[in-house]
Amino acid sequence: MAAYHSDPPSPPGGGADSASADRRDLDEVFSVAYEELRRLAASVRRRERSLTLNPTALVNEAWIKLAGSPRLAQTSLPHFKRIAARAMRQVLVEAARRRSARKRGGPQAVFVTFDESAGAAAEWADDIVELDAALERLASLSPRQAQLVESRFFGGLDVPETARLLGVSEATAQRDWRAARAWLSSELRSSA
Amino acid sequence: MNPERWERIQAVFHEALERPPAERREWVLSRAAGDLDLANDVLALVAEDEREDSLLDRGLDPIAAGVLASDSHPPPQVGHYRLGAMLGEGGMGVVYAATRPDLGQRVAIKILRDAWISPARRDRFAVEQTMLARLEHPSIARLLDADTLPDGTPWFAMEYVDGESLTRFCTVRGLSIRARVELVRDVCEAVQHAHEHAVMHRDLKPSNILVTREGRPKLLDFGIAKSLEAADPGVQKTRTELRLMTPAYAAPEQFQGVGQGVHTDVYALGAVLYELLTGRVPLDLQGRTPTEQAAIVLHQEPEKPSVVAKRAGLAAAGGVSWSDLDVICITALQKDPARRYRSVESLMRDLDHYLRGEPLEARPDTVGYRTGKFVRRNWRPLAVTAAVLMVVAALVATYTLRLRSARNDALAEARRTRQIQQFMNGLLSGDDPDAGPSDTLRVVDLLERSVARVNQFATEPAIQGELYETIGTMFRLLGRRAEADSMLSAALRVRQSRLGREHPDVARSLLALGELRLDQVRPDEAERLIREALELARRRASADPEALANATASLGKVLVAREDYERAIPMFEEAVRLDSVAGLPERERSKTLSELAGAHYHAGHLAVADSLSRLTLAMDRRLYGDRHPNVGGDLMDLGHFERDDGRLAEGERDFREAYDIYRGWWGEDHFETASALSELGGVLADENKLEEARVVLDRALAIRERVYGPDHPKVGLTINDVALLAEKQQRWDDAEVAYRRQIAIYRKAYHDHHEWIGVAWANLGTMEFHRKRFDAAERCLREALKGYEGTLPADHIEVAIAHFKLGRILLNMQHAMEAERESRIAYEIMTRQEPQGDWLTFVRADLVAEYQAMGRPAEAAKYRAPAADSAKVPATVATR
Repeated sequence: MAAYHSDPPSPPGGGADSASADRRDLDEVFSVAYEELRRLAASVRRRERSLTLNPTALVNEAWIKLAGSPRLAQTSLPHFKRIAARAMRQVLVEAARRRSARKRGGPQAVFVTFDESAGAAAEWADDIVELDAALERLASLSPRQAQLVESRFFGGLDVPETARLLGVSEATAQRDWRAARAWLSSELRSSA
Repeated sequence: MNPERWERIQAVFHEALERPPAERREWVLSRAAGDLDLANDVLALVAEDEREDSLLDRGLDPIAAGVLASDSHPPPQVGHYRLGAMLGEGGMGVVYAATRPDLGQRVAIKILRDAWISPARRDRFAVEQTMLARLEHPSIARLLDADTLPDGTPWFAMEYVDGESLTRFCTVRGLSIRARVELVRDVCEAVQHAHEHAVMHRDLKPSNILVTREGRPKLLDFGIAKSLEAADPGVQKTRTELRLMTPAYAAPEQFQGVGQGVHTDVYALGAVLYELLTGRVPLDLQGRTPTEQAAIVLHQEPEKPSVVAKRAGLAAAGGVSWSDLDVICITALQKDPARRYRSVESLMRDLDHYLRGEPLEARPDTVGYRTGKFVRRNWRPLAVTAAVLMVVAALVATYTLRLRSARNDALAEARRTRQIQQFMNGLLSGDDPDAGPSDTLRVVDLLERSVARVNQFATEPAIQGELYETIGTMFRLLGRRAEADSMLSAALRVRQSRLGREHPDVARSLLALGELRLDQVRPDEAERLIREALELARRRASADPEALANATASLGKVLVAREDYERAIPMFEEAVRLDSVAGLPERERSKTLSELAGAHYHAGHLAVADSLSRLTLAMDRRLYGDRHPNVGGDLMDLGHFERDDGRLAEGERDFREAYDIYRGWWGEDHFETASALSELGGVLADENKLEEARVVLDRALAIRERVYGPDHPKVGLTINDVALLAEKQQRWDDAEVAYRRQIAIYRKAYHDHHEWIGVAWANLGTMEFHRKRFDAAERCLREALKGYEGTLPADHIEVAIAHFKLGRILLNMQHAMEAERESRIAYEIMTRQEPQGDWLTFVRADLVAEYQAMGRPAEAAKYRAPAADSAKVPATVATR
């Protein structure tokens, strides 16, 4: 291997490695969480089609599965939940996009699904995609609020947990949620 | 709308909510004082707040259910194929029979669940599929086509196989043990073939192994994991690692999501064999939760097949050596990959041994790998001379062949052959294998003498070119780049001027010189030369496929040198493919596989890299014996992965073996030997064997100084390790000396212009900070920032870290105002670059302290983090 005629390109020690290692760790936690949530969601779906999917329960189940993994060694449960919230958001948005695509065209459109919730579900699929976009917009106005909404709505964290994680008081978290909720809802309504 | 406006809107919003609902509108209008937009925005929010039917109130559960529910009806048409009956359903997706109306072809189509390829990635997915379609083996169901449905769901079209699953085939026909072993052996052969083409299966199980009526096994689903991975490298890596389709056949590392590779397929094959022999899978996972399953696979040992078979009454038949079958299964099913058969090929060999009634290679208690202590008398001198002899003999053979086909008369032929023979004699005269100085010097001596002789061949450009190139390559391998340069350049010159620019030998020279340029860290020239060679090779592709294969691999190396790993990987894979098209011997293939492993490593695909390296190591041990530098190189690669993966003891072991090999082959004063020692020192330091590490690193440093000269940047790298070790052992003065030397070296080598200079200053500064020599620390960090100016962008995270450190130092010196300036710069950059990172927390803590010191509590409050976080700020955060 050519690399061993000269040393592998490792820069001298110092911040470089640990900083990029941190970044890598977070990415890893995310992708690990993401994959696990998708699998869990899919397996629940397969097992019991009529069962309502509880994302919070999924996040907890994902944590139970992954807690022992070496990749998550540096992560605490609340920290994981926050990252898992992001992953959950991505899982749902992707599923929503798929549904929307199916609805819009292609040979699949010919087929009827026997899923009773198909009607409402189609609507919600669009809503989730809109919500995702609105959250991105919110993030540019107030990253903390966007994160709060994500953690609460997608990750099932409650007010005290979110407050702790974001480093604010519970009162602040509550107010932030209220304002964000109002803004997002009005954004969703106007894009409908 | 911008953040400031949003803050304002929120402020008014919250105040409005404190008023009774009836008064809110009025109050907002008055508060807005003419700013109608503001008023409208706030009122919209207030109105929304009063409603309770928003999506966000509904709760996610029903939405999630609706969104994730999928329709189970497939489209009638997928690509060119029309779907027919459903053939089966697996964990990964559903399989349908299908036909291709225009070609009348019958195929099987697998539509995946849970996988979604974004439009951006679909090209890659398609390219990957094209490459896999070339995986041709009679026992592997060919992947014919793959694409995505309009909504992004991937599907694969495979050769339609009319057969039964392996287990069913054996049961229905009541096959004997022997026949079953033979079948598994055939399966192994197919898997090995795929491995040699760098394709792993990762989901082998009886339902994926069909057997036709004629008794030929056919493996399905090869390459699916790879396709998905290629489409989405970063995240997909974890995705496929975590996908546990069938836990019963999954290896422990698949549950852990780390370290998969060829040994993972070995495990699966072991499980399949076990099942065929006993009627049961090795570990019973029925009805267990996923967590329980993982625990069982990771910790519970399967019963010996013989025991299970006896109990089930299957072991009655005589003539079956159950103890050997036990050993084979147990070895393949070892939890620790290092204790398993290292490759499918070694499993296959033992199955062959079993079938022929010969003793096995695996031993019941064997750890499964060979240790490096390998004593052979007089091996050193002979090996070196043998290498030279080999080269020359090859030369002679080549020329004998070529001369035979040339249109030269017999006399000329005789003359040339004699010339080469004389050359050989000249090379070998005066060579005493058992006496004299070290081998390296001896070989170099030999080569230097030969240069003079080669000049005598001035009238024979082909021969001269050949000899120049051979000698040049040998100089390059010995690390004598200057001599190599002049030889290889001479070869190119001679060939271009005397043989013509289109002559195949010219392409070879361009490649050889290009590779040297890579060694000399002149990538632009390297690329130019190699692309030229590639052009020439392409034009003559059918006549000289070998040249094309070599040129492709070399271009891969250029891409690696440029750190373009994503493009290097497919280049090397293409080279692997070309290697087998050209019918290159295994030696060449192993080199390319090794390069591919390296590219995967740098791209972050550690498990794939590890696995390919193990494969290459096994191949090289077989091809060259245990003491060859290629084996050493493979061990170095593996050691590197192991160290990165935290498997320090294994890393130490492999680096030791590599060092042993290099010292024996090249001698102590060689850059390869120094590399091995450097790595060994590093891993010993990681293991906290600090005194040992010190001895080793000091030796590595000494060698590097001798080989490169005391001011070479390579020496700087080792000094860094030495300095860090000294710090660990609290030998501050030694560390300071080392850091200062490192700075001096880099300044000289890079003319004061390289980011490493900054990093070195920052490291020194950090150490001074720990020693509480704040003045010195401040000076160092300022130097570091100067060093970063012009070499790193102003918002690089390293720059931010340096500002942070400087801030902290100044804070400790009670210069709060200056400290705040630095911390603020760091804060600004970090919020942008790494808002989730720990650095930000530390910076904020510093800012709080600084504002408090300056008597500005309001601003301090802005940055205050909850008590828990700021308490965990260790002083050592700033060092590594």
